[in-house]
Amino acid sequence: MIGLADLRPSQSGPALGLYLHIPFCRQRCHYCSFNTGPYRPAAMERFLTALCREIDLVGDADWAGRASIGTVFFGGGTPSLLEADEMERLLERLRKRFSLAPATEVTVECNPESLTREKAEGYRLAGVNRLSLGVQSLDAGLLVKLGRLHSPEEARHAFETARHAGFDNLSVDLMYGLPGLDLARWEETVREILAWRPEHLSAYALTLDAGSRWARSGVAGLPDEDTVTAEYWALARRAAAAGYEHYEISNYARPGFRSRHNQVYWRGEEYVGLGPGASGFLGDIRYGNVEPVERYCALLEAGTRPLGTYETLTTAQRQAERGILGLRLSDGVPPDWLAGVGPLVEAWKSLGLLEVAGGRCRLTEAGFWLSDSLFVELLPPAP
Amino acid sequence: MTLSRIRNFSIVAHIDHGKSTLADRLLALTGAMDPKKAVDQVLDSMDLERERGITIKQHTVRLPYLRQDGQEYTLNLIDTPGHVDFSYEVSRSLAACEGALLIVDAAQGVEAQTLANFYLALEANLTIIPIINKIDLPQADVEGTRRQIAEILGLNPEDAIPISAKFGTGVPEVLEAIVHRIPPPPGDPAAPLKALVFDSFYDPYQGVVVYVRIFDGRARAGMPALLMSNGRVYEVQQVGVFTPEMKPVEELAAGQVGYLTAGIKRVADAKVGETITDAHRPTAASFPGYRDAKPMVFAGLYPVEDTAYQSLRDALDKLRLNDSALTFEPETSLALGFGFRSGFLGLLHMEIVQERLEREFGLTLIVTSPSVRYRVVTTGGETLEIDNPSKLPPAGAIAHLEEPYVRAAVFAPTEFMNPIYRLAQDKRGEHRALEYLGKRVHITFDFPLAEIIVDFYDRLKSISKGYASLDYDFLEFRPSELVKLDILLNGDPVDALSVIVHGDKAYDKGRALAEKLRAVIPRQLFEVAIQAAIGSRVIARETVKAIRKNVTAKCYGGDITRKRKLLEKQKEGKKRMKQVGKVEVPQEAFLSVLKS
Ligand SMILES: Nc1nc2c(ncn2[C@@H]2O[C@H](COP(=O)(O)OP(=O)(O)OP(=O)(O)O)[C@@H](O)[C@H]2O)c(=O)[nH]1
Ligand SMILES: [Mg+2]
Repeated sequence: MIGLADLRPSQSGPALGLYLHIPFCRQRCHYCSFNTGPYRPAAMERFLTALCREIDLVGDADWAGRASIGTVFFGGGTPSLLEADEMERLLERLRKRFSLAPATEVTVECNPESLTREKAEGYRLAGVNRLSLGVQSLDAGLLVKLGRLHSPEEARHAFETARHAGFDNLSVDLMYGLPGLDLARWEETVREILAWRPEHLSAYALTLDAGSRWARSGVAGLPDEDTVTAEYWALARRAAAAGYEHYEISNYARPGFRSRHNQVYWRGEEYVGLGPGASGFLGDIRYGNVEPVERYCALLEAGTRPLGTYETLTTAQRQAERGILGLRLSDGVPPDWLAGVGPLVEAWKSLGLLEVAGGRCRLTEAGFWLSDSLFVELLPPAP
Repeated sequence: MTLSRIRNFSIVAHIDHGKSTLADRLLALTGAMDPKKAVDQVLDSMDLERERGITIKQHTVRLPYLRQDGQEYTLNLIDTPGHVDFSYEVSRSLAACEGALLIVDAAQGVEAQTLANFYLALEANLTIIPIINKIDLPQADVEGTRRQIAEILGLNPEDAIPISAKFGTGVPEVLEAIVHRIPPPPGDPAAPLKALVFDSFYDPYQGVVVYVRIFDGRARAGMPALLMSNGRVYEVQQVGVFTPEMKPVEELAAGQVGYLTAGIKRVADAKVGETITDAHRPTAASFPGYRDAKPMVFAGLYPVEDTAYQSLRDALDKLRLNDSALTFEPETSLALGFGFRSGFLGLLHMEIVQERLEREFGLTLIVTSPSVRYRVVTTGGETLEIDNPSKLPPAGAIAHLEEPYVRAAVFAPTEFMNPIYRLAQDKRGEHRALEYLGKRVHITFDFPLAEIIVDFYDRLKSISKGYASLDYDFLEFRPSELVKLDILLNGDPVDALSVIVHGDKAYDKGRALAEKLRAVIPRQLFEVAIQAAIGSRVIARETVKAIRKNVTAKCYGGDITRKRKLLEKQKEGKKRMKQVGKVEVPQEAFLSVLKS
């Protein structure tokens, strides 16, 4: 058993990340397996009170006041269901308990249909300095098929709204490998999105995760591997031509605009997870809060931290993870982290999937796309 | 107990005719087993026997039988396996008995092993009690079976006892027949000890436990036991009987069946057929001895993890303690590293050994395609025996090749004759004899052993709606037009995939094998070319395309554990892969030679 006292960041680590999970949506997207439920104002209100209490409980820890927070990320669910004053309330509470600097990256995931001009400006005043817009597709028919609640025009409009509200760090989320999406349509989507000039772009190939509607029901018209692969390369080429760095398997950024928060994960740095089902990593412990919102609220109402699962990483696991996570980034890892799998590194090099340069070992764009085949080999042997 | 009150018998039959079930009933009826504690086929005590519902080893048990008139008898029952791989177990069990219960399934009638076991019992001069079992089944044909017993086996049909081992009907009559018809054992308790070893097993605490039938004299703890074939002397530590648990007794006297321990370290030191006598007062003549069980098929056993080689050797050593038919010797393969070439009685035996190694010893194994043992006559006039195709000398050094043949008996209703002949032809069978026995035929063929070890039996069953049965025995080596078929992965030959096949079949086999390998070799980071070749001539080619995509795109909100679990699942799927050159080959690929 671990005690709460064990859940503390290591002394020497860099600034912490904070992840806050907002577990509501107006409608669940058909591909989504995340921890989210239907939005009801009363449930949101109860949840926010519980979340503030969780912030207080974590903030009570002796290390909290001293810890500097490098990034804050509101994910979901649909965090943009939060009104501006609710956002302010949460950020106020965080500032009271932790030291957030003006330079701290504060990101909110937004769905286009819920982002009004008023809300965007309110978020900015509350201290949000980065928005990640869930566009997913610019094909009206596909958006309906995905279960999204916005049209392509609304997406573009939301992007412009955010710009006009003064956001100079915007990210767009896209999906490919979608049923019925052909390569030409995808190239067009990419071209148009790049023309918006977002600072950052995340593009995920569709996976049918257990727990999603599509994983249960199946879905017709999924493209074959060759098509998805062609889509990956089409994006990679166009993004590079437009001056974006492909800095992580699924992420692109204009110079200086990489997502600092996501890099916390890939660099094996520490972060606090708040909200139902949120994951955290402190010291050598990975933990997760309970997932059901009801249970999460009830625990906090009783004054208890809503921890659900946790595991203490062994040294072997930590070493495996830092390689697996680090190689997701184009920065790669120091070559000696892969000393244990030398022959494999050579094989990957000879296939053009991996390169060693400038004292770093990194996957190429071709290597990114096959990376799990390497990562399984880095896992420690089963105990 | 005087000799006149002892009866020793085996239960023999074709596979699944109900031997072990009858043993259950006999145990219950004599009170040897509490019916409340009883499970079905209680003597099938190994996990594998229970799961597969078959008997693998003989099982001995002593039954105290109190007759209605108050007279007490001791019945020693030996339950035997029906599968052809284990017929060796039957013959040695019979050597300890005066009688045999020959069971015939009333719904199946006489089958090939019924005949084979019947002849074994005749040769051993046993009194045979025919029993017609499963009379409760709606499709049971008791009178037809009775006729077959008369026509095919030449036994008196009136002697057959109809029973249902499942429900106990007729089983009391079986007990009475055992007492009345089977003669009491001969022997002189006052003469020097003369005991026959008919089986043995290794127990980690007591060393080797030998199953003995005492023919003369008495065995008891403390006496010096002389093993007559090798001259070794051991002090007897314990004698006892199986109830079915081992139960020590004061002494075992002439006529009785039981066990003894004497600190014997290796099963090989007390072989089946060995004569044990009193070192101070030895008996005059020993038993003639017994042929060793000869392995018929050979396969390489390799650990998936190279580091498990020593564990595999230890595990094989332990298994061999209880399985004298298992042989093994170290071998190396370019593709698979260090392993063992092992010999088995047949494919069932091979499967069982593999399963036990994996289950009881926690090993993960690659088993190469099974091969028979070939004889090579070299141009230099030398004769070599090889049981691993990759060890075949180069073609230029071979004068000719010989392969083992078996004499096989197929027994079936006449209506299936045509498909049986077609199958035999496909399997290079040579017809020897045909005999009509009522509505059945008994066909004798000579087959290359290699043709029938794999799927012959299954095909025979399927073309005959399950009615045909098979029995076979090694015959001789015969010259044959054989070629070695090699498999190359990305241009490199994989020694563990080489097979020796008949020239006429090489093309078909090569194509089938390449296709099968394409289906089982997973896609890799690069294209894999599969070629089948005879010498330098490629006869079939297939390609496994490269993987295009293998990536976890999402970040799952920092839920690294979830991501790792996805990877762990992928890794689990790779557990049985062996790296052959650059190519990862799954375990099943090596056996696909078998199935194609
Ligand atoms: N209906 C019916 N089924 C029976 C009877 N006797 C045995 N069986 C069934 O036949 C099957 C085989 O019985 P076993 O006693 O295991 O046969 P066996 O001869 O010992 O088989 P091996 O040891 O594998 O050769 C089992 O499913 C039994 O339940 C019977 O009298 N009636
Ligand atoms: Mg049995």
